[in-house]
Amino acid sequence: MKKRERKEETGNDSKAIEATSSLSSVSRRSVLKGAIGLGVLASTGGLAMNLASPGSAGAAVRQLPKKWDEVIDVVIVGSGFAGLAAAAEAAGQGAKVVILEKMPTYGGNSIINGGAWNSWDDKYHLRKKLNLGDDSWELFKQDTLKGGDFYNYPELVEVMVKNAPDATNLLMDDGVKVRDTLPRMGGHSAYRTYMAVEGVGRGITEPIKRIAEKRGARIRLGTQVSWIWRKDADSPVLGVEVTKEKKKSNIRIKRALVLASGGFSRDVKMRMTFNPSLVPEYTCTNQPGATGEMIRYAQAIGAEAIQLEFIQLYPCAEPETGILDTPAVYPYTGTGYGLIYVNKAGKRFVSELERRDVVSNAQIKSGAKPTYSIFSEQIIQKLAVPKEEIEKGMAKGRIWKTDTIGELAGKLGIPADALQETIKRHNKFIEDGKDLDFNKPITKNMLPLVNGPFYAVAQWPAIHHCCGGLRINTSAQVIDIWGKPIHRLYAAGEVCGGVQGSNRLGGNATTDCVVFGRIAGTNAGKEKPLA
Amino acid sequence: MKKTALMITMSAFFGLVYLLAGNITLEAAKPAKSKEAAAPRQSCVTCHPDFAPVLPKGHPPAAGKDIGACTTCHKPDVSGKAAANAFSARLHRAHEGKTDCVLCHTWVPGKSFGLLGQKLTWGKPSKEEMALLKQVSGTWATSTYMDAGHGKKNVTCMGCHGKALPAEGDSVENDRCLECHGPLEKLQAKTAPKDLPDRNPHKSHLGDIGCTVCHKGHKESAVYCLQCHPNFQMKLK
Repeated sequence: MKKRERKEETGNDSKAIEATSSLSSVSRRSVLKGAIGLGVLASTGGLAMNLASPGSAGAAVRQLPKKWDEVIDVVIVGSGFAGLAAAAEAAGQGAKVVILEKMPTYGGNSIINGGAWNSWDDKYHLRKKLNLGDDSWELFKQDTLKGGDFYNYPELVEVMVKNAPDATNLLMDDGVKVRDTLPRMGGHSAYRTYMAVEGVGRGITEPIKRIAEKRGARIRLGTQVSWIWRKDADSPVLGVEVTKEKKKSNIRIKRALVLASGGFSRDVKMRMTFNPSLVPEYTCTNQPGATGEMIRYAQAIGAEAIQLEFIQLYPCAEPETGILDTPAVYPYTGTGYGLIYVNKAGKRFVSELERRDVVSNAQIKSGAKPTYSIFSEQIIQKLAVPKEEIEKGMAKGRIWKTDTIGELAGKLGIPADALQETIKRHNKFIEDGKDLDFNKPITKNMLPLVNGPFYAVAQWPAIHHCCGGLRINTSAQVIDIWGKPIHRLYAAGEVCGGVQGSNRLGGNATTDCVVFGRIAGTNAGKEKPLA
Repeated sequence: MKKTALMITMSAFFGLVYLLAGNITLEAAKPAKSKEAAAPRQSCVTCHPDFAPVLPKGHPPAAGKDIGACTTCHKPDVSGKAAANAFSARLHRAHEGKTDCVLCHTWVPGKSFGLLGQKLTWGKPSKEEMALLKQVSGTWATSTYMDAGHGKKNVTCMGCHGKALPAEGDSVENDRCLECHGPLEKLQAKTAPKDLPDRNPHKSHLGDIGCTVCHKGHKESAVYCLQCHPNFQMKLK
């Protein structure tokens, strides 16, 4: 048992009492110091509670470090898309930038994601080139808001969609190569998803990392932030405590701290705190480090966290382990080209163009695990998937390929006549331009499943994305519980809430990360250095 | 609790032995620290009055009282090359846990760490750092971890860590590992599964990852891949 030391700080108490003359300042200043409450107003009793983590040394009042071990302009927590984009921009402003990554490898969820992001245009006008109809930032915004049940903060969504083409251009300039395809995915009313040729997020993280490092930013692996230093509720962020192996040290931050540490899908306790239905039995697509402690550290210095209960399932994960491997991407990107989802009975059970939450719930209710995506050679060609990628997926038993639907049904162990009937019916819907069963919006880009070879991939929902998180404004500043920005504290990506609302549309995470990462990094780098 | 009780019993017992021995004062029965300080400086000849029995066959006779007997021929290596050093390794392994470092090494805490009679320094370990070095050199000599495997192959601290003595939290760069275990392409070819060649632990989809992500020097190694891919058949040799 550790004894908690309580240090008498009469100075703080008296200051807080002085501040009672202004209601707003008493509330802002003193709650974090633990000075508010009847005991203090009556000026009896010692210090009240504050939010320092229990069990840590001097938990009652954490003393600021007496000396700092080093000084860095901009510290970024997390090395995924948002952290790397922020690092590239901050270093571009001439700041000394260090990314702290607690895992032994860089890239977080970003390096293992599907390598897809959304934009309504780019400088090469890919959508026009592929003759895939119209799009606009307004439409993109509307889709995102609708997909998020209008829980999204509209001003944040607007920043994301308006900056999406710029972000896309920059990624391409940085060296991200895109496939010659632009899928339409669930919840989107346009063809707007760009795909990295690698078919995985590494195709995006590597180029941004290269740029960031070229500009002088450095990544420190295996280095975990274990506290954020702030003097009081009016103070800017002053630094961070970091833990490497078991050794703690303190970094003074001269310009700003950027939190780009991702969500908490891998922390069963935390996700069940906000959504008790997400029981431990669920698998998860995330990397093991997605455990959300930075959200708690930020809350402990007064940051507001919003909408933490909105935790999304990915409907197409590998059924046994929950990982989002390369074959788990086709069921999601193929929907705009006529790929269908069927259950164990060989029947469709949802509109394939539905949002992730709707599809996931329909799968769970479909009767048996798993469900399957059925598609054809033609659809694979539309997705510009390299042949080797399919062959690898088949070798791993993730993709089935047959010449006829009947054979495919045999491989999957589902009734062949039912599957044939389902496909015949869906082909007719495409021909007639109307889905009589699930009212899927049929487009002329959808291909009937007539000519083989045919393919199937098994899929099942897994916990995927935390839509909620820290509250930020359009400048990526973290907002405190009183509604004011915390000075020199920025956040971007999945660690934030309010951009995706209750349900994120596929491909919006990368756009969110790159757009807000750049804003956070630019603003952090522009902060006037503290003396 | 148990440990403390044991220690009390033991010190009481030894105290009694010393008293019964009669020619030792009460002061000498105090904790080992003060005893050590009071004791005359030991040297190689305290245990090896004659070096011949511990020298390899055909080794010319060695003369001297301390490590100088060896270093006249076996020049200490300060190059920090990633290579085996049989002399250094054998000497360390043979004495691990039996003698104190400063029997051969010179050490001014926080200032220097060298070798008796030699003008060289491998770093400036503090008292805490030295405690860690002692602990780690213990696992290097006897553990079931990767460090002991290197120890048996005559690779000492600097073989992996380079010129300077390692400090807490130090890692080893891939290039050093590959000096002996490379080139990377060869290593990758060796570990490529026949059926699923892209499920190769040395060709990760996470890019250029550190060898030390899986291969830990001084603690239990573990296949990192399995954290997300529990079904993979992968084992560390």
